[in-house]
Parts: sequence; C-alpha cells; structure tokens
Amino acid sequence: MREQGKLGWFKHDITHRGITAWLLFAILLLFYFILYFPDKIGEGAQVFGASKETVNWARELGGSLNIFEDFMRWLGAALGFTVKKWWDPVWNKWTLYGTLYTGGIVGGGIYMIRKYSHNRYQIIRMIAIMVTQTIFAFSLPIMLGATGHKDYYFSYFWPLKIEYLYPENLANMPLFMVLYGVFGGLLLVPILGAFFGKRWYCAWICGCGGLANTFGEPWRQLSNKSQAAWTFEKYSIHTMLVIALATTGIAAASFALGDKSPGLQQTATIVKYLYGVFGVALLSGAVGVAFYPIGGTRVWCRFFCPMAALLGLVQKFGRYRITVKRNMCISCGMCSKYCEMGIDVRAYAQRNQSFVRASCVGCGLCAEVCPRGVLRLENKADPDPQELTMNKLLTQGYKEEPQRKAV
Amino acid sequence: MQHFVIIGNGVAGIEAAHTIRERHLPKHARITVISKETEYFFSRTALMYAYMNQMERRDLEPYERKSYEKQSIDLVLDTVTDLDANEKTLTLEQGGALTYDKLLIATGAKPRHFDFKGFDKVKEGFVNFVSMQDLDECERLTPSTKQAVVVGGGLIGIELVECLNFHGVETTFLVREDSYWPVALAKEEGDIVAEHIRHHGVDLRLAEELDEILVDDNGRIRAITTNKGKEIPCQMLGMCIGVVASVDWLKGATTPPEIGRSLSVDRAFKTSLPDVYGAGDCVQIETGEERPIVETIWYSAKRHGRLAALSMMGDHVHYEPPLFYNSSKFFEIEYTTVGDVIRVPETARAMWRELPGKQITQRIVYLPEEGDRVIGFNMLGSRWNHRLLERWIRERRSIAFVKEHLGSAQFDVEFGRAPLEKMKETEVAP
Repeated sequence: MREQGKLGWFKHDITHRGITAWLLFAILLLFYFILYFPDKIGEGAQVFGASKETVNWARELGGSLNIFEDFMRWLGAALGFTVKKWWDPVWNKWTLYGTLYTGGIVGGGIYMIRKYSHNRYQIIRMIAIMVTQTIFAFSLPIMLGATGHKDYYFSYFWPLKIEYLYPENLANMPLFMVLYGVFGGLLLVPILGAFFGKRWYCAWICGCGGLANTFGEPWRQLSNKSQAAWTFEKYSIHTMLVIALATTGIAAASFALGDKSPGLQQTATIVKYLYGVFGVALLSGAVGVAFYPIGGTRVWCRFFCPMAALLGLVQKFGRYRITVKRNMCISCGMCSKYCEMGIDVRAYAQRNQSFVRASCVGCGLCAEVCPRGVLRLENKADPDPQELTMNKLLTQGYKEEPQRKAV
Repeated sequence: MQHFVIIGNGVAGIEAAHTIRERHLPKHARITVISKETEYFFSRTALMYAYMNQMERRDLEPYERKSYEKQSIDLVLDTVTDLDANEKTLTLEQGGALTYDKLLIATGAKPRHFDFKGFDKVKEGFVNFVSMQDLDECERLTPSTKQAVVVGGGLIGIELVECLNFHGVETTFLVREDSYWPVALAKEEGDIVAEHIRHHGVDLRLAEELDEILVDDNGRIRAITTNKGKEIPCQMLGMCIGVVASVDWLKGATTPPEIGRSLSVDRAFKTSLPDVYGAGDCVQIETGEERPIVETIWYSAKRHGRLAALSMMGDHVHYEPPLFYNSSKFFEIEYTTVGDVIRVPETARAMWRELPGKQITQRIVYLPEEGDRVIGFNMLGSRWNHRLLERWIRERRSIAFVKEHLGSAQFDVEFGRAPLEKMKETEVAP
C-alpha cells in the first residue's frame, strides 16, 4: 500500500504507471522528437532523392523545429562566446543533451549511492558509471571538438555506436581512434564479456545502462516479466543484431566498391539513414528513455540493443552466472520484481537453480533486495550453466509423453 | 486415475502438488488444491513487501497463473467443512462433496490468541499479520492510525513493526522477554538488534507485557495498558505471539484424525486415518519419543510438502529433520543461523566475533569436550553460505579449522566482503 499524503500519492503514481507517469512519458517523447528529428527531415528528403525544392523545404521545416539548437546558439552568444556560423562544436544541442544526460546520471548516481550505502558493489559500480559518463561521454568529446579535433566517445563501441565501424568514418579518423574502435569493438568487448559477463559494459560503462540504473532507478520494477515478453525479446534483439551487422556490411561493401557500384552506394546511404532514424533516434533514444515511466528502464537494452545481443551470446558461454544458495529461497519475489530485464529470478531461486541468462546485465539488484541473501553474482572458472527454458519453468518438470513423429 | 486432493494452498500444499505432477501425467492423476484464503498460491513471507509498497498483490504469486492450467492442477476457492475417511469424501461449504483417493491436509497455522482483558469489547483495530485477509485489514486501518502497538518479539512481530514504521505510524513494540528474541539470539545479539530497532524510531519495550485493551465508544482500540501500569495510546494493536496449527475444523469431523496440539502424523506423514496425510505447519511428527517434531518455518513446510507427496505416491518415506538452519532480516540486519546456538550443553563454549563500529557479528558454538567440534553458527550483518557451515558441522570440524576457513563460507556481494581479519574475537559462554 502506498504511503500517506500527497507526496505518497505522487511517489506511487509516478512509479506505478499513474497519470503523472504517462505525463512524464509524453514529455520525454516530445523532448526526443524535438532533439533528433529536425535534422532527419531534410536528410531524409535528400537520401530518398527528392527534388531540390522539396529538400530545401524539408530543411527549412526541420530548421524551424530545431529549437534546442537555436536555444544553445542563443545561450552561447548571450554568454559572450563566439558561436560559429553553421555548426559550433560547443554551442549545439548535443551539448545541451549531454549536460542533461550527465546531470541525470550524476544526480541519480548520488541517490543510488545513498540508497545502497551498505552495498559496495553498487557504490563502486555507480562511481564507474558516473566517472565514465562525465569524462568519456561528455567532457572529453566536447573538449576534443572545441580544440578542433574529431570528437570521439571512448565509452561507446560498435555495434551500439554503429558508425564507428563505417569505413568512410574510419578513413577520416586519426589512427589511434581507428585502432581503438576496431580492437575495442571486436576484441575487448567480447573478451571481457567472456570473463565478467556483459555487466562490465552494460552495467558499468554504457551510458544507456548508466542512465537506466541511476535516473531510471524508480522505474526498474516496471519491466514486463511475462513469458510473451521473453519470447518477443529473443526475436527482437537478435533481429536487431542481424540488421546492425547487415547495415555495417552494406556500408563496408559500398565503400570497397566505391564508384564502381553507384546502386549499392545509394542503397548504403538509405540503409544507414534508416538505421539512424529507427535504430538510433527512435529506439535507443526516444523509446529507450521515454519508456522509463511506463515500460521500465531497459526497454532498449533488453529488446533492441545489438551490442547487448552480442554480449549476451558471449555471456551464455562465459564465466558469469548468478549463484543460488540451496534451499534458502522463500519465494518472496523481490528479485523478480526488481529485475529490470524482466527475468523471473525467483523461478530459478526457488528451484535452487544457479543460472545465467543472456539478458542479465549484472546490475546486482536482485542480490541486493533478496531478504535472505540467496543470490550472488559470480565469475567462476568452471561454469555449469543450465539455462532453463521458460516452458520448463512453468511446467515444473512434467513432460508430455514423447510423441512419435512420422519418419 | 487417482485423485489427489490437497487442502491448503500454502507452500507445503503447492510443493506437494508439483511433486505429484512431476511423476504423474494428468491422465493418471487428478490434482485438486482447495483453499479458503486465496485462489492462487502466494508467498506469505512477502506480505510485508506488499504492505510497504514494494510489491503488488500479483507479485506475491511465485508461479504464473496460467502455469496451474498448464500443469492441470485444479484450484478451488472453498472451505472444507467435513472429512469422512470411510467414504473418502470431503464436504465443501459451497461446492458440495468431493471424493479423493489420497488426501493431504496442509492447512498451516493461524495466529495464537489469548483472551486479553478488554478484548471482548474490541470491534476494530485488532490485527494479525499472517494471512492475505490480515494484510487487507492492516491496509484498511493504517490511514486512520497514528500510533500502534505490536505485541510479540518474533519474526512476524518485527515485520509488522517495520511496515507500520514505513507508513509513519508511531510504533511501540512490546516484548515479553528481557532481550530480543531469546529463542534464537544470545543476549549480545539481541542487544544489537534491539538497538537497531530503536534506531529506526520504534519504541521497543523489553520485559513488558500487554495487560488490558481499551476501546473508544465505537469499539475502536484507543489504548492499551501494560503490566508495568503504563498506558500507551494506539489505534491499532498487532498480535504476533506465535502461531498454532489450524486443525480445529478436523475435531468435529465425521472421522476426526488423531490430534495433539497439531495434527499427528508419523514419519511418513500419514495421519491416523487411511490415505490421509498431513504436512507443513499444521502437523506434529510423532517419533515415539515424548516430544514430537514440530517445525513451522518456510523451509520445513516446503520439505514436508515434497516428502508427503512422495509418501502419498507410495514411496518409502522416513522423515528425519535435517540440521536446523534459518535466515531472516531485522530491518537492515541480515541473519543466518545453522545448527545449535541456543539451549546447548553446559560444557559448550562460543567464539564471539564482532566488527568494531558495525553491526556484524558471528557466534560460533563448539564443544571443548568433543575435540572442539563446532555445533552451531549464529551470524548477524553479513551473508553466509549455510551449506558450507552445515557441512562443517556434519563433518565434526574443530573450531580451529572453522576459524581458518571461515572466509570461504562468506556470501557477501562482490567487493563487499565483511573484513573477517578486522574482527574482535572473544571467547564467551554461549
């Protein structure tokens, strides 16, 4: 039952899909549309080969909607800075977004550290998230841009930041960034994933996970725990991985063939544009964050993120798992309730089943909220993961008699 | 086809149903579970989280609702009013008669009650905290409650105190004993928990008992008095002084089974009636000795349910209670216990370890006369792998061995291991 008083009502309402939660959802969605889509309108017209007038009209329409950009340019000038004519590396809307995003992570991180002050795993994890965000995903890229360098987010890798392996981008980068991006994305990420699970990235470094685990904390319990959601997740996330691989492949092929194949070049431009609109802007941005108050914090991470898909596959065969203490579970369900990835942790715990699930990001909250200390995150050298299917969990062992198939 | 009927959908009943279904397909065994409390099995231990706004009612259910249908377990929301073992028939309050081939009685326990002075005048404000209906009643009363009194220093008592405290209710916690929960905690441990309870703003009063309940004109509780002559104003009175087996309904049955304080069963969970079994908090297991085995915790009920089901299916079952273990949480202090730590032989000694400035302690009881063999662990404030502690007791390991290897039984979160090397260690009488 909710706490008494107006504050109690609000706390309950905004975390239980009440009217204020839907309102916040609408505001966040609007924010993301204004942030991402003005640029996409003109670009889209161009990519799909519209007439010159149409492209100009679309650009003007986009420009008139680009109010965050206008605001930042105005702010820069009002503060006495020289704002460059077309694009200023500091006074642009992404600086505004970065400031808000970093503010959310730092503010939420401090809230988390206070809330879980007795849990050192959470404290250290929060510090990692906050430091990564403030330095590598905020200050450093702005400083690089301001000093005339190519801006680069060292905390993001392909395929989450898909353009970091687009060949035409690699061709324009300093060598060390190229090496960092290629080795980081293709070697470092999976190798660390095999040893520590996907959590080293998803719950310690990544900005998407970072915001979810700090600012998004009050909504983590809203993740859908149903079997249908699990089934959807398995299809959707691997589909996204295939799409990301295909997009990168088409970009590489078109770069390799160059002018020899103008048709492929055009296809590549369209595919990359569509991935930018639907994969990045819509799913990772608008859906990823705006859905916090109504769908839980990890909608993007759980259902769509190609990097999570890749790391999940590595995790299933790696060392990471959640160890369950035998016969200690009281089936209270706090672990399942507070799993942001919608894993029914209780189903495993009450069966004394240590487990590893591809989707588990290792936030450690199931172990934190367990009143009997049944769960522990571990990296073991001799893993014995027995991932159960949901069907087995539901039917608790009884199997239909084997059916004879016509040979 | 055999018809297995289970009365009670608590953890013992549902565990039994699942155990039967694991072996028998629906076409070989029909399973019916009858409950008057809720249609679906829920976790009683999680009632407090629903009360504290951390969970919804549906979250308390450990199995998805459609899983019962998938497993062909029929759930009936009804009350059993009569049992006729000769005709193998149950009478239901609403549903008429139901015949069974094997019957399991797993009706659990209900709150213990004393006729306190003034109780007969109470119309509103008196609560227990055991059933779903109790939770509903608590939630109904909370908005009109500024002060509350909880009686009884056990685990359910402190759960209710924590919930009331969460809702900003000024709570007085009356504990009859002179230290907190002496059936499980030594004086030092009780003191730590007591201090922690008080730290949360709860008025914990040790060695003080309820004397009389006072009501206002509408019959709502307005205050209580204690045996120390103090009057404590309160609008809610929580009674958490233990539970008793819920078997009264059997006494008037056409064929009443043998009942002591609880339903008597043998080590195969058979009652005195043919094809009628009992499991969980409602049974006492007769062993031929003077005192029957009575276990009333979640883990024992789960164990009983599984074994009783095996027995019902014709397996040979001879119940021997395993080494005792339990765990709990007093507000934020986690607690694990294994083996014997209270009421131990007089010759026993205890190693008492505490971390200065933190509420982390370990009390390890051992027998100097038997090669320093360790017989029990009582651990507060950090997490332990009880399986390893159990093994050491079974292997009759010495206190020196246990001390040396204690670190390997720690189960704290990563980076959060309690620093055993910094602990202050003294030898005390247990």
